[in-house]
Amino acid sequence: MDCKKAERFLLRSLDGKLDPEKKTLLQTHLEKCPSCQRKDRDYRMILSLVRPQTVPEPLPYFKERLLAKLEEKGKTAPALLWVKWAHRAVAFSLAAFLLFGAGILFFRPQEPRELSQTEKFLLQDENPLGEAGSILDQQEAEDRNMMLIFASVGDRDVSRRYRP
Amino acid sequence: MDEKELIQRSQAGDGEAFGVLVERYKGKVFSLAYGFTRDRAAADDLAQEVFIKAYLSLPRFQAKSEFGTWLYRVAVNHIKDFLRKNRERLKEIPLQEAGDRVLASADLGPEEERLREGQRKIVQAALARLPEKYRVILTLRDIDGLSYEDISGILKLSPGTVDSRLHRARRKLREKLTGHLGRQGGEHGL
Repeated sequence: MDCKKAERFLLRSLDGKLDPEKKTLLQTHLEKCPSCQRKDRDYRMILSLVRPQTVPEPLPYFKERLLAKLEEKGKTAPALLWVKWAHRAVAFSLAAFLLFGAGILFFRPQEPRELSQTEKFLLQDENPLGEAGSILDQQEAEDRNMMLIFASVGDRDVSRRYRP
Repeated sequence: MDEKELIQRSQAGDGEAFGVLVERYKGKVFSLAYGFTRDRAAADDLAQEVFIKAYLSLPRFQAKSEFGTWLYRVAVNHIKDFLRKNRERLKEIPLQEAGDRVLASADLGPEEERLREGQRKIVQAALARLPEKYRVILTLRDIDGLSYEDISGILKLSPGTVDSRLHRARRKLREKLTGHLGRQGGEHGL
């Protein structure tokens, strides 16, 4: 048996949890190992020193003092409960305020922006084909050309464009 | 009145029934607290706080374990909190000084008794320096003498873990004491 195993058996023997066979093995090892003999002496000495020699009694009137404290706690319990709920209300209000603030920051309505040409076509019914159609419908070549010129200069207001 | 009835009445707010439970368990709870503090007044305060905590938590006690085991668990958790809060103060006396203080005391009688008390103080100081989990298990087993099964129930650990942790704790304590008890330990010194 090596010393590591012997120490394990030694510690178990302090609790009386070592079976007779292992006890014999330990005893045989201890007889020829001074280092483990010292450990055995150390552990037994520490065990005897770690226990207090005497444990005193609790201070007088232990139960009476305790019951008086409990009664006192019982009297103050409603007040304590109110304080507890007040603390919760403050915490809840703070959390709600923070959530509201975060909501405003992250979900505020966006500034109206100018629509793209495609969006205008789709959303405001400014169908360029309709305009092109009216140009192509012109019988007079001059009128058609004038309308094409006015449409190409980029005046977005259709009402101000050339009309024959 | 049996314990089950006392517990039910205490849960319903019967202070008298709780008083009977206090009488039954005050010695054990006080002894546990004394094992950690070695101070009668501090242990008394701790034991009172443990019973107050237990009374307030009693409505949540569902009798899944023995009342004694549950109460010990409440006590151990409360004492752990106390140790955490007072960690630095409890560690402040150096190991050798703890023994020297006793040796210098004129109140103690014969030489051998003074030496023994000095060694006891050194061991206590070393115990106070151990990590909390080792200190707790050593106190429950080697000071209070609880069985592995009880410790397993109180700390919610498997018996195998109790076994290995206890052995590790004893090894650590011996390591801390090596060289410290020699001067006062005579032929049995470490």
